[in-house]
Formats: sequence, structure tokens, C-alpha cells
Amino acid sequence: MKRGFPERLADFLLRYGVILAVVFLVVFFKYRTTAFWDLDNFLDILRASSILTIVALGVTFSVVVDGFDVSVGGVVGLVVMLVTALMVIWHVPWGFAVLTGLVAGALVGLLNSLLITRLRIPDLLATLGTLYLLQGTQLLITKGDAVYKGMTNPWSPDRAQATGAIPPDFLYFGQGYAWASAGFRGVPVPVLVMAVVAVLAWLFLDYTRFGRAMYAVGGNPEAARLAGIPVDRYRTAAYVISALLSALAGLVLAARLGSGTVGAGRDYLLDAVAATFVGFAVLAARRPNVWGTVLGAVFVGILLNGLTMMNLPFYVQDIVKGLVLIAALGLSYAIRGREGG
Amino acid sequence: MEQGLVARGLGKRFPGVVALKGVDFELLPGRVHALVGANGAGKSTLIKILSGYYPSYQGEVWVDGRPVRLVRPDLAFRHGIEVVHQEVDTALVPGLSVAENLFLERLAGGGTGVWVSPRRLLGEAGAALERLGFALDPAARVEDLSLHQKQLLVIARAMLRELRYLILDEPTAALSLTEAERLLELVNRLRGQGIGVLYVTHRLAEVERIADQVTVLREGTRVAYWERPFALAAIVEAMLGAPPGAIFPPRRPEPGETILSARGLFRPPRVQGVDLTLRRGEVVALTGLAGAGKTELLRLLFGADRPEAGEIRLLGRPVRLASPTAAVRLGIYLVPEERRRQGLILDKPVRENLSLPFLKRFARFLGWLDRDAERGFAKQQIQRVRLSPPDPERPVRLLSGGNQQKVVVGRWLGGLPRVLLFDEPTQGVDVGAKRELYRLARESAKGAAVLWATAEIDEALGVADRVLVMRDGRVVAAFPTEEADRQRVLAYATGAEA
Repeated sequence: MKRGFPERLADFLLRYGVILAVVFLVVFFKYRTTAFWDLDNFLDILRASSILTIVALGVTFSVVVDGFDVSVGGVVGLVVMLVTALMVIWHVPWGFAVLTGLVAGALVGLLNSLLITRLRIPDLLATLGTLYLLQGTQLLITKGDAVYKGMTNPWSPDRAQATGAIPPDFLYFGQGYAWASAGFRGVPVPVLVMAVVAVLAWLFLDYTRFGRAMYAVGGNPEAARLAGIPVDRYRTAAYVISALLSALAGLVLAARLGSGTVGAGRDYLLDAVAATFVGFAVLAARRPNVWGTVLGAVFVGILLNGLTMMNLPFYVQDIVKGLVLIAALGLSYAIRGREGG
Repeated sequence: MEQGLVARGLGKRFPGVVALKGVDFELLPGRVHALVGANGAGKSTLIKILSGYYPSYQGEVWVDGRPVRLVRPDLAFRHGIEVVHQEVDTALVPGLSVAENLFLERLAGGGTGVWVSPRRLLGEAGAALERLGFALDPAARVEDLSLHQKQLLVIARAMLRELRYLILDEPTAALSLTEAERLLELVNRLRGQGIGVLYVTHRLAEVERIADQVTVLREGTRVAYWERPFALAAIVEAMLGAPPGAIFPPRRPEPGETILSARGLFRPPRVQGVDLTLRRGEVVALTGLAGAGKTELLRLLFGADRPEAGEIRLLGRPVRLASPTAAVRLGIYLVPEERRRQGLILDKPVRENLSLPFLKRFARFLGWLDRDAERGFAKQQIQRVRLSPPDPERPVRLLSGGNQQKVVVGRWLGGLPRVLLFDEPTQGVDVGAKRELYRLARESAKGAAVLWATAEIDEALGVADRVLVMRDGRVVAAFPTEEADRQRVLAYATGAEA
């Protein structure tokens, strides 16, 4: 059937709206700020969004099975405090600290899925509970102190100095560059980690039977169950993956900061949720999808980076983020309305 | 002034399809006009136009001689047109009482002022319901009502605002026999009060009972119109566009070995001790009134629920069906009662819905899906169930009810079925698709045992080799089909004969 120009224009905007917005932002900030154009700067933007992207991909997994993991911010914070404290206070080798961080993440994922599949607590409420739990637990590790070299050991009866340190090998994951050469600073390692995670998540969700089953569970849990899909097992897997990715993000963040900052994961939660839902609108996907989430996270990252460079106060950033999220959701629900017609 | 709801040249296009082309239609006060047609024939489009669902449509509508444009739902109300949809819940607020729902418009519109006296509301509602002759408790919460009671409530609400033309969209599809009976009586009464009723149904027996006129739609056009008396065979022929032939495939006697047997299955309140035996090459019908426990029994056999007591044997060996996953692994498959809610992932294409239980078969190293193999499988199953359109990439939500059901059935035929359980598979499905489903059941019985649950006794007698009758959670009678007749089955189902 033939359709008029306005209608086709609307369709185009619905499909490519988010991508156009990213392009617009880059151009806009280029003219409004000075440093914002060369490859290094571009990679800097990606690095600034990399941790957020990893967290957002975790949230995406939970949304794929029609759940919602809001405990991710807590996991990031917990892992930051845990691994840095292990290294600085207890002199644990960094490889072992990393492993402990990931195991802690997996356990949180298991706890979430237990609350959801066994106790039948609605996803949002269960993970909200976990979020509070984790925000407290991360402070318990150091009795509320930040972790840094030469800090006072909070667990020592005579308040001795902690003598451990965070080794450069570990810091590399947050601060290092790969493939550096004479003319090129190299690719920031966090960007590399993000890219690997994104590609793996994409292959997993779109090309394996496990991903297909997860989407089926999210699309209609009852129908999936009656088709013989072990629904609870897939939901458990999704929450464990979500928590594991947040734990990984926490490791990168700890390496980037080089210390255990109190409340480090707090901002990631809302930004990751925003990124995931902005991703719904990319190419009119109308469902959680890996590249949508990546683009959504980069979009939010650019926005924050640009606004910071323009010296706008932090509260303006929140207002802008809110508007962007509403616009993106508006887009994706507008698409739903059109297709339903 | 010409009386009635009159439509001329009614049409509606969607991108890529013409759903309705130039249909003429008349609904007179005090008459029941039946509208029949296969799925996708344009019935729902016609209803939606008359209820003001679409902001635009082709053709013209007159109400009692006055031209009207029904482009908003409130315009339809204002002209006394009311629709009771199949999904009647969409018109009601579940958490509120019957009385509050009855006066919902007034409450929402501010006609009652700020303060609402619950007592006065209940009193008024009670009086109104009594005047209309509806047995509904005004204080009951809507979420606790049965489907039939909800229909009554919606009809009652319509009657309170000067109902002239009532559109009933397959009102008996999900009702029990007794409830359906009461609904038909109500339709008769409404006709007596001068209300014009447009009655959409798949059940031709109902057309014969209550309709004064019948219009048959096929592929968006009106292909036939009759006034009483009707020849049902002619109606079926008009719906199908071809002579109906035998709608049920021929029986195939001589069942093979026992595949599944159950002893003392018990899960109160709906399953109270059931024994049954299913054999290869046999289609067994499980019939009984709605609420007799058919669905619940099937769920036990599929592992969707766990029995409190009893034993299930597959090929002689006791099996523990801890979940549908376990049942599917053993070759026990269920076509569930509500295909949209329980059978399909509506946003996904036909291909993904077909392959869902057997993804492992298309998985290679690390779970990587072999898409070509999957697509080949989908095409094969599409051909086998004669899906229309035969497009593996079409989202199933765009298919008609009958074709959606074929997807669910086709999925299981692609496995290695030992036991196929069908739960009311022809509900809301047109005659043509019904015939296909009967054929598929018979075909799959070649290698498997088939248990076909249906509340429609004629269907049970037509499709099966053996009929089991269920009542109050027990199998109360079993006959070979040749020895069963409608009256006897009904007598057992209702408890007239124990």
C-alpha cells in the first residue's frame, strides 16, 4: 500500500531516532566545546561509558527474561569495596581478589533468583531489597571507611595502618591501554573489556539456543513453560549473568579509581536502566537488545561527558537524563502503538 | 423514518490487506441477526467499525434513518450501540464491585458529585438489576465473577444507557453448556424488548436456535444472506467457499499397545481419582461440562501440575512428571486451552514458535543455532499443517485463531509424540481450520496416543474412537464411539445418569 511522505518520515524517525540523536550530540558538543573530536577523545568517551555499558548489559539480560534487576548498582559498589579491601587490608593477591569479587557477584545473582523463583517475590521488589542489603554490606567491609593505600585498618584493635597496596597489574584493567604505539595512545582496556562483553552477549542472546530460550521466557513465560522450557532455570541464569556483569564492571571501576570509594556504584543503576530502555527504541526493536543497550549507554555517556565539559551543574545533568529517557520511551511506545493499529 | 442499524458499502483497509470490502448489512430492532464466517473473514473488523473503534472507514452507516460516522466509541454508545467482546474483562474494572462497575460512567463522569454513598450505590444497583431481571449480587467484586456473570454485567450496564443495538462477539465460546443456555434465553428476552442483537458465533447450532437472519462473510465480502428457515449445510458451504464434505476424517479402528496409563490420579478439587488408558493409534475424547476437571487432568498428565496421589505409567514403566520439561522429553505434548496466553509467544515469528521445544535439535557447538536447519524444519511443519499464509517469518500475533492453533499443533507434530493431549483445541476456530485440526489429530494418532478434551459433545463423537465422560473430577463413563450418542453422553455429563 502506498503511503504519504509524512508517514514515511515518521517511520524513519521512529527507527533511527536514537542513532540520529547520538550523531546530533557529537556534532553539537564539538561546536560547543573545544576538545571533542580526535580519536583519543572519542576513545575517552567510550571509556567513560564502558563501565556503564557493562552494567547496562547485565540489566538487559534481566529484562530479556521479563524481569528487572535493580540490585546492579549495589553489586558494583560491593565489588569495588570488596576487592580493594582484600588487597589493601588483607594483602590478598589480586587474581584471588578478582575471583572473590566475581564469586560474590554470582552469589548475589543466585540470591536474587532464589527470591524471585522460589519465594515468588516480584522482580523489582526482590532486587530492590537486595540493593539495600548490598549498600549496607559494602560499608560493613570497612566499617564505612573508604579504601586507599595507607588507610587506617578499621579491623585492627590498635588502629594500625593497612600495609597492602593495589598492584599495577590490577590497575591496568581500569587505566591501561592496549596496542599502544608511537603515534597512537592505544585502546583503553575498559573499552576493550566492554567490546568483548558486548560481542559475547550479542552472540549468546541472538545466536544460541540459550538466548532464544531466554527471549521466549521473557515473551510469554507460561507458553515457554508449557513448551517444555525450564523457565526458572533460565531466569536464574539471567540474574546470575546480570550480577556477574555488574561484578565485572565493579572490578574495572575499582581498577580505574585505584581505591575503594564509598558509594561508587550508586550512579550506575539509573544510568544503566536508562540505557537499556533507550535501547528498546533503537531500530524500532521494541525489546531489550544488546546493540541497543550499547548505543543507549554510549548515548548517555556522551551526554554526561558533553554536559560536564560545558560546565553544567550536576543537577542539570539529571534533568537532561530524565528528559532523554522519557523521549526514548515515548519513541518506543509510539512504535508499539503504530504496529498495533 | 427507517428503523434499524443500516450499513452500506462498509469497508476497511490496512497496510497490505483489505479486511472488509463493501459490505451491506442491516440490524433491525427486535431481531437477532447472526454473523458467521471463518477466521479472518472480516467479522471482527465489521464489529469494530460499528463500535466506533476505527477513526476512519469506508462506507456509510445509518441509525434509524439518520446518517452517522462511528469514528469514536462514545459515538457508538450515544446511538445506543453496545458491544460485548469475547474478552469481556477489558470492559470492567476487576477490583471494584458489581454496583460500581454498573455505574462506572456516572462515577467517572462526575454525575454523582464528589461523595459517593456506597449504600445508596448498592441500593440503586440492586434495584436496577432486579428490574432488568439479572441475578447478580451488586456487592460482589468483579474479579470473583464467572465469565458468564461478567457478560451479564456488561449487558446490564448497556441496558441502563438506552441500549438499542447489542453486538455479542462469540459470547458462548468459553461458557459451560448451562451458562450458554442461559445466555441464549437472555438474547431471546432482549429481542422481545425490541433490542436488535448482532450475534457473532462459530456455533451453527446456535444460529439455528435463535437467529432471525444470518449473514455469511468470507474474505471480507458478504457472500450469503438468509432469513429463517436456514439450511445449515448451505451456511457451512458459504463459509468455506466449497462443499463441506465430511468434516471429520474417517475412523481407524484397531488400536495398538497401551502407551500411557494412569491410576488413581488425585488432585483436589478438580481431579478426584481418575484411571485411564491411552493406546497407540487411537483418538480418545474427554468430554464433560466446563469445570468437570478436563483441563486439570490434562495438566497432570503433562506435568504442569503435580498429583497428590496416583501413578502414571508410560509404556508400562512408572514415570515422575516433575515438570512440562520432563513430559516433553518423554514425548508427552500438550496443546493448551488458551493458545494466545499459554501456547504462543505472540511477538515471535512462526519459525521460532515452531522450534521452541526442540531448540536442542538445531543447536551445534556451545548452543549455536543452525538457522538453516531450523528454517527447514519450520517450512516442513508449515506444509504439514497447511498454515496460511505459509510464511515462517510472520509474527504469530498476525495469524487468525485457527492458524495460530495450527502453529501450536505443528510444533508438537515436529517432535516424536507418544502422547498428544489437546485441550479444547477448536475453541474460537472456524470450520475450515477445525477440519484441519481433526485431520491432524487423526494423522498423529498413527504413531501416538491422542487425548482430545472438548466440551462439545458432537465434536467428541465425531473425532474420537472412544469417548470418556468426566464429571466432578471423575471419569463417570466410557464408551466406544459407536455405542455413544449425544443424549447418553449428556446424561452422564450432567449427572442425570450416574
